[in-house]
Amino acid sequence: MKKLGVLVLSLLLLFLTACGGGEEKASGEGKVTELTVWNDWTENRPEYKVYKDIIAKFNEENKDSIHVKIESIPHDQYETKLRTQAAGKQLPDMFRVWPGARIQPLVEGKALLPLNEILDTWEGKIPEGIMKDYAVDGKQYAIPANISETSLIYYHKDAVKKAGFEEFPKTYDELKELIKTLNDQKVTPIALGNKSIWPLQSVYISTIADRFTGSEFLPSTLSGKGSFTDENFVKALSVVEELAKLKAFNEDFNTIDEAQSRTIFNSGEAAMHFAGSWAIGPILEGIENIDNIGVAPFPSFGGEGDTAKISGAAGGGIALNAELSGKKKEAAFKFLEYFYGDELYQGLAKSNIVVPVQVEMDDSIPEIYQTANGFAQGGLAPVYDATLTPELTDMINNGLQSITIGEKTPKELAEEMQKENEQGKK
Amino acid sequence: MQLTGKSKAALIIGLLPAFLIYTVFAIYPIFQSFYYSFMEWDGFSEMEFIGLQNFENLFQDTLFWNSVGNNIFVVIASVFGQIPIALFIALLLNRKIKGLKIFRTIGFLPVVLSTVVISLTWSLIYNTKNGMINEILRAVGLDFLAQNWLGDTKWSMVAVCITVIWQFVGLYLIIFLAALQNIPEEVMEAAKMDGASEWVTTWKITIPMIWDTIIVAIILCISGSLRTFDLIYVMTHGGPSHSTDVMALYMFNETFSNLKYGYGSAISVFIFFFSLILIGIVKKVLGQKFI
Repeated sequence: MKKLGVLVLSLLLLFLTACGGGEEKASGEGKVTELTVWNDWTENRPEYKVYKDIIAKFNEENKDSIHVKIESIPHDQYETKLRTQAAGKQLPDMFRVWPGARIQPLVEGKALLPLNEILDTWEGKIPEGIMKDYAVDGKQYAIPANISETSLIYYHKDAVKKAGFEEFPKTYDELKELIKTLNDQKVTPIALGNKSIWPLQSVYISTIADRFTGSEFLPSTLSGKGSFTDENFVKALSVVEELAKLKAFNEDFNTIDEAQSRTIFNSGEAAMHFAGSWAIGPILEGIENIDNIGVAPFPSFGGEGDTAKISGAAGGGIALNAELSGKKKEAAFKFLEYFYGDELYQGLAKSNIVVPVQVEMDDSIPEIYQTANGFAQGGLAPVYDATLTPELTDMINNGLQSITIGEKTPKELAEEMQKENEQGKK
Repeated sequence: MQLTGKSKAALIIGLLPAFLIYTVFAIYPIFQSFYYSFMEWDGFSEMEFIGLQNFENLFQDTLFWNSVGNNIFVVIASVFGQIPIALFIALLLNRKIKGLKIFRTIGFLPVVLSTVVISLTWSLIYNTKNGMINEILRAVGLDFLAQNWLGDTKWSMVAVCITVIWQFVGLYLIIFLAALQNIPEEVMEAAKMDGASEWVTTWKITIPMIWDTIIVAIILCISGSLRTFDLIYVMTHGGPSHSTDVMALYMFNETFSNLKYGYGSAISVFIFFFSLILIGIVKKVLGQKFI
């Protein structure tokens, strides 16, 4: 018995010392500071390659002092994992974050390190209006790499022409005409995949509601000055109801996801696809005759908003762990200054990603990218799920789905959201 | 075998690692859940003790009761779907058939397939436009029966439950087959000599002899259905319009999407007691001792 106890104890000790030794090796041996960066770059997308290439180049140039290790987690699990790890104070040195409401809890939980010390690097390069997406209370927590426009209309030029439209509809009434004609011609008007319930909110409502209410509506309502029961907001929700009633979408839109709906569009089965700038790459890849594809801004709906704006948010920011200090902190700053440089933005533009800085464009860059990139100049309207609280996002996501199948009216959803908004304030 | 003092100690030491791991990874989190359920916590900031507030909110939360209702639907569908079908097939297979092993393997196949694979496959089968079910219905001229299976709140729960039943029938099939093959031959032979028909043998002898196994299967089935999560998560995300939300899914969404760790824990605690009580009642009804 005694012997066994000693054996167990010594095994345990051996195990513990082995673990400790490993850690020391990582940070102590040599002068190389190792930094881990978490991200969701798992798919085979050109922009992810740009990110990874720049990190590889950085590692090569600094191989005596810094090494950045990439750890990729699939997108759908990424945020859940980040939140869980943050709760347990187990975050890595650096990690990809989304702007606005989505970094708010991380900031409140004191998990992020402000970057104000090194902000000069980007002054005059990135417009302040876009930078502020990653700022909370005057402190900057990440640098945007790209702009994600969430509301663009991609269309097959020949299908729209066949329906009798020389150019893409500029008003909502015209758009409804187009939808009716396409239905008569037995063409699916709009390819939609709303199983994961965010597209109707992020892609559709973010811009549609902005057209009706103006960009001030969302922040002022959230701060308690306005109300979601505002007539204009209810009208915006009613657009979704009307589109569903007009049979504007493929029948199975509530049971397929966004990527599947893009396949329907790419195959030519549907004439239009409403999606963000993230769809440019996959559409360019998935369609043979790319000259036949056009991209249009959302039409005007009447209402108080600026029709030049479309909803969008900065993205691609990498935040630092609040616990970084000394050598590690210095290395991380050095890395960020290198990473968010000209090379990154040029590389991204070549991969058809909309970027926040001025980049030279040549003819090798496809038309739909140039057009989409131009839309950002009109200004960005807030994206709903980047601005609302998680509860309200959940509510509007589910609510819009309920509206499409007639389980809820736009007015009921607006009232429900207002009630939650008031309760959340308490 | 008799245990001397020395080997008893060895036994304890042998069990110790498993016991420790079980305590750390199974028992401790349960108590932690209890603890969190009295807190308001978003997972990052300071926890705030709010007593029974989470439970009070829970009992007024209509979406939560909706998920409880759906969950009970899954339990009933599973118990009355999986068990009778599995028993029926097991009785059919419990003969001297050639290739019995092949049938067993086929029946068991869904159990070993990954749930994600099953969910995606069935999503395709149910697809309203080009899914197998609607294609067949249209091909034989029954167009009016074709439905938007997963997209219509009237059918979504039924569609999901059929998949759940399909997934687990194999498991109970194997359990029942094993029990059936343990019935002594003499009993059957005696019945045959007395001139009992197959029907009578099945009802009066076979089923009573495997009754205990059936009860175990029913309890496994209930506790499994109360935990249903992955299949529905992949197939519908609980939608459309919360029509396929179940307790575990609701708990997951509240905790990780809405960042309400305390509230999510309160739901977990509810699931824990709900399962315990439901299984207790079922055991009592089926004539076994509570717990």
